[in-house]
Amino acid sequence: MTKLFAAPAAPAPATVAASAEERAVDVPWYIIAVLVASTSVFVGVQWDISWHRSIGRDTFWTPAHLAIYLGGLVAGLSCGWLVLKTTFAGSAVDRAHSVRFWRYFYGPLGAWVCIWGAFAMITSAPFDNWWHNAYGLDVEILSPPHVVLALGIDGIQLGALLMVLALQNRTTALTDWQPDQQRDRSIYRLLYAYAAGIWLIMVATMLTEYSFPNAWHQGRFVKIAAGTFPFFLVAFGRAGKLKWPATSAAAIYMGVMLLFIWIIQLFPATPSLAPIYNPITKMVPPHFPLVLVAPCIVIDLIMRWWGNRGDWLLTPLLAAAFVGTFSVVHWYFGEFLLSPAARNWFFGTDQWDYTARLGPWRYEFWRSHDTITFKALLIAALLAMLGTRLGLWWGNWMSRTKR
Amino acid sequence: MRRFPARVVLLGAVVAVVSAHVGSPNVLFDGMAGPYAIRVIIRPPRVVPGIAEITVRVQDDDVSSVSVQPNRWDAGDAGAPPANGATPVPGDDRLYVAELWFMTSGSYSVHVTVDGAKGSGTAIVPIVSLATTTLPMTRWYGLMLLAMGTFLFVGLVTIVGAAVRESVIEPNEQPGPHRRVRAAVVMGISAILLGLLLFGGKIWWDAIDGAHRRNIFRPFSTTTTASIDNGVRTLRMEIDDERWLGRRWTPLVPDHGKLMHMFLINAATLDAFAHIHPVPLDSNIFEVPLPPLPAGDYRVYADVLFESGFTQTLVDTASLPAVGSSHRAVDADPDDSWHVGPIRSTARSTGNAVPLQNGMIMTREESDERIAVDHETDLRFVVRGARGEPVALEPYMGMMSHAVVTKEDGSVFVHLHPAGTISRGAQQTFELRQPGDTALGRLGRRMTDSLSLGIMIMADGREPGIVSFPYQFPKRGRYRMWVQVKVDGTVETAAFDIDVVDGEDTSPR
Repeated sequence: MTKLFAAPAAPAPATVAASAEERAVDVPWYIIAVLVASTSVFVGVQWDISWHRSIGRDTFWTPAHLAIYLGGLVAGLSCGWLVLKTTFAGSAVDRAHSVRFWRYFYGPLGAWVCIWGAFAMITSAPFDNWWHNAYGLDVEILSPPHVVLALGIDGIQLGALLMVLALQNRTTALTDWQPDQQRDRSIYRLLYAYAAGIWLIMVATMLTEYSFPNAWHQGRFVKIAAGTFPFFLVAFGRAGKLKWPATSAAAIYMGVMLLFIWIIQLFPATPSLAPIYNPITKMVPPHFPLVLVAPCIVIDLIMRWWGNRGDWLLTPLLAAAFVGTFSVVHWYFGEFLLSPAARNWFFGTDQWDYTARLGPWRYEFWRSHDTITFKALLIAALLAMLGTRLGLWWGNWMSRTKR
Repeated sequence: MRRFPARVVLLGAVVAVVSAHVGSPNVLFDGMAGPYAIRVIIRPPRVVPGIAEITVRVQDDDVSSVSVQPNRWDAGDAGAPPANGATPVPGDDRLYVAELWFMTSGSYSVHVTVDGAKGSGTAIVPIVSLATTTLPMTRWYGLMLLAMGTFLFVGLVTIVGAAVRESVIEPNEQPGPHRRVRAAVVMGISAILLGLLLFGGKIWWDAIDGAHRRNIFRPFSTTTTASIDNGVRTLRMEIDDERWLGRRWTPLVPDHGKLMHMFLINAATLDAFAHIHPVPLDSNIFEVPLPPLPAGDYRVYADVLFESGFTQTLVDTASLPAVGSSHRAVDADPDDSWHVGPIRSTARSTGNAVPLQNGMIMTREESDERIAVDHETDLRFVVRGARGEPVALEPYMGMMSHAVVTKEDGSVFVHLHPAGTISRGAQQTFELRQPGDTALGRLGRRMTDSLSLGIMIMADGREPGIVSFPYQFPKRGRYRMWVQVKVDGTVETAAFDIDVVDGEDTSPR
C-alpha cells in the first residue's frame, strides 16, 4: 500500500479496509443530513424575509420559521448522534477521522462546528424573544439576537463544508485511483461546491440591506462587498479541488437564489399589518443575486496561473482583480436591472415591501452623493487585500483538513 | 414657573409616559357599533412595533362575530389590512379578545365590527401607538443567557484548538508537542479576539438601547406662567418644544368644541380644581384668564388634539399669585368651571355624598367590592334634588358629564367621559377624514366650521341624573376624582376620594 498508511502502527489494515468501506458508500448519511439542514435553513431565512416584506404578521410556527428550526435540529441532532456514536461505539477508524473534544469525546471537526451552530441558534431564540418585547418586533435583519442566529447558521454551514472537505481531502490523498474513486471524488467536489454556495447565500443575505441593485453605484456597496466576499471566495478557491472552485460556489449561489426568486413569486400574499402603502398580491422576492461569478472566474484563473509562487504577492493581485471586476460588472448590470427591460418575473425587479411608498426612487440609484470614486476603490482594494490574505490562510488550512 | 417641592418633582420624573392622559395607558370605550352596545378595552403596545391586546364586551346576546382592524390615520381604509377575527372567551359568551400589531408610531384607530341578528355595525376607537417603556431583563433570564453564552464561548475556543491541533494531521497520527503548544497559543488568541467581539457587541447593544430610550415619547415641553395684567390674573402656556416649533406635526383641531382643555389642580392639598379653555395668542402661546382659585403651586394638565387624531396631555406646573380683589375678567369662556373644596387633611376623605348648589346632592354609587388595579370599573354617580328626585342633566360641551381622575402624587391624570378615556375629537378625525384631507388644515376647518360636538349619549334607557364612567385604575393608592355635570345652565363640580387596592385584594369592605 502507499507509504501514507504504512508509517503508523497497528491500525494500518483497518485503514485500508476503511477506505474500501468509504469507496462503497457514496456519501455518508451525516453529510446528506447537514446539507439538507443547511438548505432548509437558508430557505427558511429567505422565506421569512419575504414573509415580513409581503405579509408582515407572523407567529412562532410559520412554515418559514419551521424550516429554520428544522435545519438547526437536523444538523444538531445528526451531528450529536455522530459524535456520541464515535465516542462510545466508534471503531478505531472512526476515531482516526475525528478530532478530540474535552478529552473524552470524538467526532469530525465539522460535526462539532455543527453542534455549536445549532446551540447558538437555540440560544438566539430566547434572546430574540426578549429583544422584541424590549425594542420592538422584527423590522431589520441585523440586530444582536439575529447576529447570534446568523453565527449559528454560519456554524452549521461551515460544519457541513468541513465535513465534505475532510472527505474530499482524505480521498484525494490516495494516489492509487480506481474508477469508482474518481466518481466519488467528483461527488465530493460537487458537494463541496454546493456547501460553499449555500454558505455564500447566507453571507449575502446578511448584506441584503446594502446590496439592492439601486445601491450598485455606491462606494459603500463596493467597500462592503470588498470587505466581505474576497475572504470567502478566495478561501473556497484555494480549498476546492475542482477546476473552477470559486466559480462553482458562486454559480451555485446565483442558481439557487434565482430558483428561489422564481418560485417565491408564484405564491399569492396579502399584507396583514397596517399601514399598507403598497398593496402587493404576491410574495416579494429577494433582489437579483450579486454577479459574483464574474470576479470568481478571474480569481480562479489567476490562482491557477499563479500556482505556488507565494501568497503574499498573490494577495494584491486577487484583491485588485476582485474590486475591478466586481465594480465594473455591477455598475453596468445595475443599470440594466433598473431599466424597464428587467421588470419581469425572470429578473424579479421592481417589487417592494407592502410598507413602501412608491415613487421614482424605485428606478434611481440611491445615495447619489456616494459614488464610486478613486478613493472608494482604494479603500475597497485595501479591504479586499485584508480579506484575501486571511482567506488564503484559511483556504490553505481547509485544503489540508482531513478530520 | 417651576418652584416645586423636591418630592413632587421627583415623583413627576417617574411618571409613566404616554401621550394622552398621564400614567394611564389603557384605552376604554363605551359606545355603539351600529345597533350594538359594546365596551372596548385596548392595552396598547409598550414598544413599537408591538402588539396591542383588545377585549370587546358586547351587551347583546345575538352577536355572531366580532372583528378588529387597525387603521393608520394617513393610510386610511385603503391602507388597512383585512380585519382580524376576535375569539370568544370560553365561559363568557359576550366577551371577545383579539390582538393587533402596530408597526409604526402615530395616530391609529381600531375599527371594531360586530355582526349579528341586527346586522353589522362598526365603532371607531382612536388609539395612539408609541414606545413608552423600557424593559429590564429579569435576573434569572440574564443568568440563563449568560450561561448559554459562556458555553458557546468555551465551545468555540475548544473547537479552534481542536482544529489547529488535530484537523490537518493524518488520520491515526497523534498531535506532537509542537502542535499542542501552537493550539494552546491560538486558543488564547481567539479567546481574546472573541472577548473583543463580545465587547463590540455590548457597545452595539448599548447604542440601540440608548436610541430606544431617546425615542420614548415625551409630551411637548411647555412653559406656563401666571401673571396679573390690569388686575386680572392670567395664565399663559407657551409650547416651546422644538418638535412643535419645527412645524412637522399636523395642526391642532378642536376637541368637543375647544382647542385646549386645561386643568389646574392644587399641588399641595388637591382641593382647588379648574377646567378652563385657553385660546391661542399666536401659534405657540395659549392664554386664559384665571378663575378665583387660591394662590399656590398648581399642577397644570392641557389636553390637545392634532388633526391626525393624535392626542397629547401637556404637563407643567404654575405658581398662581394671590390677587387683591376677586374680580374676574368678563371675557372668560362661559364653559370654564372650577371648584374649591374645604382644605382637608390627607387623612379625611370627602365621603360619597357631596352637596351641590340649590340643595342638590351628587352621590357615588359604590359596589361591595373594593376597586382593584387593572380591573374594569364603572364609576357611577347620581344627582338628586333636594327632595331626592333625580335631576335632569344638560350636555356640558357636548358630553353628559366630564370627570378628572388623578392620583395623589400626580403620577396619574385622566380626563374621562361617559364614553371612556378616548377623545371624541380624535374619533371624529377618523370618522370625517376624506382623501383630500392630505392638505393640512382642511379637516380641522371642517370640524371647526361645523361645530359638531358629536354628542355622546348612551341610548340605553339610563335613568336621568345618573352618569357612569368606565375606567381601569393603573396603580394602587389614593385618587381624587372630580365629576362635572350641567344643571339649569350651571356647571356643578363635586370631588370624591377613591382608594384602589392591589389586584388580589378584592375582599368586600
